[in-house]
Amino acid sequence: MKRSAELSKTLDVLRARGLDEAEALTKTGRGRRLERGPDTEVVSFHEERGWAVRAGGDRSSFFVCGTGALDPEAPWPEPNGLPIRLPKASPATAWNEPDDFDAPLVGEREGLRLLTSIEEELARELPGARLIYGVLEDGSSETGIVNTKGVVARIKTRVAALRLDAAFGRGGAARTAIYLAEREARRFRPRALARRLADQLAVAAPPAGEGRDRGEILLAPAVGQRMIAELLPLLVGPRAGDLASRLRDRRGRVASEHLTVIDDGRLAGGLFAAPADGEGVATRETVLIEGGAFRQPLLAWWQAPGGEARPAGCSRRASWRDLPKPGPTHLYVDVRDGVPVGGLLEEVRRGYYLIDSSGPASFDFEEDRFSLPVAGFAVHAGRATAPVSGASLEGGIGAFLKGIQALGRDLTFAPMEGMIGCPTLLVTGLEVKKGKT
Amino acid sequence: MPFSDLDRAAVARALAQIAQHEDDRPEAYFERLEEVELPPDTPPARGAGGGQVPGLAVRREDGFALRLSRGGRSWLAARDGIEPRLFAEALRQVARVLPTAVYPEPQLPVRPWPGPPRAEEMLAFPSRLQRAIRTRHVAFPLGLTLRRHRRHIQVVHLDPSAEGERESFYSCAVELPWGGYGTLFTELDEGTVDRLASTLVGLFRSRHALPPEAFQGTVVLAPAAAAVLLHEAVAHALEADVLAQGGKPDAAVGVELGSSLLNVLDDPGAAPKGVRRSTDDEGVPICRRWLLRAGVVAEPLADTSWASGSDALIAGAGRRGGRHSAPSPRSSHLELLPGTQSIEELLAGAEGGLYIAEARRGALDPESGRFELEVPYARRIRGGIATDPVGRCRIIGRVAELLAGVNGLGSDARAAGAGWCAKGGRKLPVWATCPTLRIEGVEIEP
Repeated sequence: MKRSAELSKTLDVLRARGLDEAEALTKTGRGRRLERGPDTEVVSFHEERGWAVRAGGDRSSFFVCGTGALDPEAPWPEPNGLPIRLPKASPATAWNEPDDFDAPLVGEREGLRLLTSIEEELARELPGARLIYGVLEDGSSETGIVNTKGVVARIKTRVAALRLDAAFGRGGAARTAIYLAEREARRFRPRALARRLADQLAVAAPPAGEGRDRGEILLAPAVGQRMIAELLPLLVGPRAGDLASRLRDRRGRVASEHLTVIDDGRLAGGLFAAPADGEGVATRETVLIEGGAFRQPLLAWWQAPGGEARPAGCSRRASWRDLPKPGPTHLYVDVRDGVPVGGLLEEVRRGYYLIDSSGPASFDFEEDRFSLPVAGFAVHAGRATAPVSGASLEGGIGAFLKGIQALGRDLTFAPMEGMIGCPTLLVTGLEVKKGKT
Repeated sequence: MPFSDLDRAAVARALAQIAQHEDDRPEAYFERLEEVELPPDTPPARGAGGGQVPGLAVRREDGFALRLSRGGRSWLAARDGIEPRLFAEALRQVARVLPTAVYPEPQLPVRPWPGPPRAEEMLAFPSRLQRAIRTRHVAFPLGLTLRRHRRHIQVVHLDPSAEGERESFYSCAVELPWGGYGTLFTELDEGTVDRLASTLVGLFRSRHALPPEAFQGTVVLAPAAAAVLLHEAVAHALEADVLAQGGKPDAAVGVELGSSLLNVLDDPGAAPKGVRRSTDDEGVPICRRWLLRAGVVAEPLADTSWASGSDALIAGAGRRGGRHSAPSPRSSHLELLPGTQSIEELLAGAEGGLYIAEARRGALDPESGRFELEVPYARRIRGGIATDPVGRCRIIGRVAELLAGVNGLGSDARAAGAGWCAKGGRKLPVWATCPTLRIEGVEIEP
């Protein structure tokens, strides 16, 4: 039976059982994974085929999923859970499928050569540095979703992800890692990646000295992305509005006028760009913060019944095994006001250029405080003067948002909770804490 | 058993077709997984809606992976579903031959899934837990997610003699207004309800306690906390792939890693009933493996890939997160042999220190040996007893210094500290049997 026939037959069977709210999903995918560790190399190929069904009504429901083909005549369980409502079909919106979705997956030799090239470039950039572990994954998938409310959606994805762990110094005294994703593995640039690892290793040595300092602080995209990801409770979900309202100043702003934050499920060139979300609801652009003013949180259709906020197709399914969960798809800082990064660095008279963030952060929205582990350089008159490691960026959450003085043009996305995008940010009003003070 | 009708000899004959070199090790891994999930019994925020968990969720998977290992290299092909055509395709992929090559399609009879699963014991559990909490004269909101996990595996090599294995256990994740808690059980009996209720009430009673000031001193770890510490500081530290990040894994054998009181084993055969194993996830017989004998490294954890290149490493500790990933050396059931001291004696030697009943999670940096253990709450030890609670804090330090500081072992070894280990993104259940442990010179930070 064809996949579309499997799906519609399943809905017919469930409807015949009196289950008015029913949804069926099938997913197929394939991928290649190349993994290189100390003395080992693993090349994997996988193909997946799974399905998921949830059905019920205003009294109860069930959720079942499994591998292989969807069997419409499967022995469906009795609904024994919470009531369920499913979305109605959204009005059709234009969608042009990116032409690189169907490019072939990275080959074994090609993928291993990429890891080898990064290793060689890293040794050239920083003699003594070594790649401890590298994993390259390249995969594509196709999902079909139908429901009894008229939703019919087909979603294709194509993602390549790269994880690199590197060390430098005696006994691996300095260690760092990067994790990034692109549409195709062929877009990873070994020299640029090696340079980034070398920069991070250069500031990842054990911390020296203690103290607190203020100044102008330049946050590289990797640090800005981490900040935005930690601020998601302010931007996503029904509680976000309440949290954001506590940060409003007299002019009603929650952030500097330079800050505009957008989520867009169909962002051109975006890694997860799709016409519909994990429930088949049409995706769209949603402005969350505009020129420092909070516009609305990111809400799924069932989180905003009749309120002022416009819901978006933002329910994501990690796999066919998972239920849809609202969250960002491509959530990013708009860089229409951006300036060249070199210019931003020149503006720093005395301060810091923070390029990396790893380790646990603490964000307290009740107390309006945060602490984020960071590493980078001290900067004097626009020049890096000394590495800063084992430090933390600290201050108020509102102070960070309102202290953004300028943005770079270098908007970069990283796979976190969805794709989070941020350019270099110039911020004032925060502290850099070094060592144990 | 879903794989009891599988013709293992036919599978082995098919695997023999792709072994070209003397040291080639082809292997087939079949798995059947079932997870039944009971979500928190809380209504959706704004009425019923999409995105909310709809009652008992059932996840069922069948699949397999073929692997060809040659020295330190391996090729793996995994499929969802178990069918002869998929098997032949996967054989071609691991053999890395053109699609025109013809490989046999062995018959792969797998027993069908039974009807929808029953889970009465799970449905009754939340109210039993609430009752047990109320008998302690407290009440608080909690969101309990309970899952039942069943896993059947069958591994076939060129020698198809390995029998299938079965695991069945429960996991729970509890969301509380002041933090989360998670653990694993093999049964939902009265003892399980009682232990979980005690832990949750302990978290409730310490919710407003202030973290301690940073200090260096003595801590007494209850079995559950000791198990988490040993999992991070001994088991992960002695995995062959982790050791390889700093040099040759066999070089660790004979190194003094901790106090001579420490005798630590990994023994999947002594794990609780329901998760006890006789072979690992590579079909290799397990052994009672001495990780530390009197504080000295004896037998690091290894799978076939690491053991094949070494005389000092023994296979039998290969574990897989699933068919889509290759096996790697991991512990299954960690055992710290008990000492002779009573809990009173251990506390008496820890004046001014902390008694730690639970540890949330740990982290180890394998290269530097730096270690961190998160503690949700503890009790200050005064006059030989655990008194007032202190809030969240961390034990930090280097593994060797921490383990060298062990100066007391209780006689009360018991099953404790079971949980999920997610090293490298591969989530695996881990089990332990531990006594109470006392360590001096420990650095505590709020």
